Amino acid sequence: MKVIKPDEKVKITLTINGQKYETEVEPRKLLVHVLRELGFTSVHVGCDDSYCGACTVIMNGKSVKSCTVLAVEADGAEILTVEGLAKNGKLHPIQEAFWENHALQCGFCTPGFIMQTYWLLQEKPNPTEEEIREGISGNICRCTGYQNIVKAVKSAAEKLSQTPYQRQQ
Amino acid sequence: MYPPKFGYVIPENLNEALEFLEEHPDAKPLAGGQSLIRQLKLRQIRPSYLVEIRRLPLDYIRKEGNIYKIGALTTHYTLSKSQIPLLNETASKTADPQVRNMGTIGGVVALMHPATDNFAALIAMDAKVKITSRKQERIVDFSSFQKGRFKADLSPGELVTEIQIPTFEGYKFSYQKLAKRIIDHPIVGVGVLVKLSGDTIEDIRIGITGASDVPAVRAKGAEEELLGKRINDEIIEKAANRAMESVNPASDLVASAEYRKKMVKVLTKKAILNALKR
Repeated sequence: MKVIKPDEKVKITLTINGQKYETEVEPRKLLVHVLRELGFTSVHVGCDDSYCGACTVIMNGKSVKSCTVLAVEADGAEILTVEGLAKNGKLHPIQEAFWENHALQCGFCTPGFIMQTYWLLQEKPNPTEEEIREGISGNICRCTGYQNIVKAVKSAAEKLSQTPYQRQQ
Repeated sequence: MYPPKFGYVIPENLNEALEFLEEHPDAKPLAGGQSLIRQLKLRQIRPSYLVEIRRLPLDYIRKEGNIYKIGALTTHYTLSKSQIPLLNETASKTADPQVRNMGTIGGVVALMHPATDNFAALIAMDAKVKITSRKQERIVDFSSFQKGRFKADLSPGELVTEIQIPTFEGYKFSYQKLAKRIIDHPIVGVGVLVKLSGDTIEDIRIGITGASDVPAVRAKGAEEELLGKRINDEIIEKAANRAMESVNPASDLVASAEYRKKMVKVLTKKAILNALKR
């Protein structure tokens, strides 16, 4: 049994976008803060209360809200953020689809939407509009009214089905 | 928002977790954390230690005879993909996809939020809760395990480890949820399980969450109205009316007691009709 006292720090290892990172954290530190401090600033702190989805990342293959995961809890996990999507300067099909469909205005929510879309399309490669809307129900956008986001997810699904994209996780 | 300071314990096995929880009554087990971490941030709870149970081998669904045994760490996501009638639907309508990927059935059962989608299924299905401590293991009916709003029959040192429910093979089902946004806790939620023989109702179970001083109730009066009868619009209407007898809702910021009661009727009718259509 490992016991970390309230004032102690603990060493954790995370594999972020395929690269290993070691860092020391207090048990109360949230995953979102660790990711941002390591330079993955696409992961946004929005509501900080697990409603808005701006901090969504893929952890061990599943989308999670990193403001509601402790960093120590994620020890040993594989994390994927938007920074890990583009390869050799070429955008990921989901990123392309968001760009082409004008699925953002201010862009604050976009990384969260893109990571949630990444997970949704893994689960349902060819989702209906209803499935898309349900699939992104944990993410809030205050600019677009969601119409173009739904279009972008649909378009991303088509792109991914046409050109099999090598998934990282 | 940072959570307050706490210590953190990573046990090797269930026994170590139970031992630590028993010796530290102010420690809290951490399962999916989707309610716990929010409570910490809001300083609603100030545990000395969190005990990480989420990696313990309590994430399973086993069918043994005519019982499903569900490990306490089974996520809403896993339940939503399962073959368990009604509970797969209530799980799929719990919170949002990211929260369902982390949140667990044991977590919601221990938290006992007064409006919890899965509870409409658990009460309708005569679920049992297995509670383990270092000294003993006990299995109690979900209906008596729920003591009130945010009150479960759990003592310090005890952990919810398994949920058991009969398989209800050959039943049709439906869960109807009223919420301002689909991702919220329900204002009222009604789950129905029904077994037909021809067009006669052989068995019916109706569970309601969010409308009483305990988190979930059975609508026994409504069930009585339908049991053994041939389906027709009139008895469904009567049953929906009688569902209101079983509830005793409170008023709060989200909805008045009166509104909740009326919605119990509306949702019960919807759930029965929808289940019969499947």
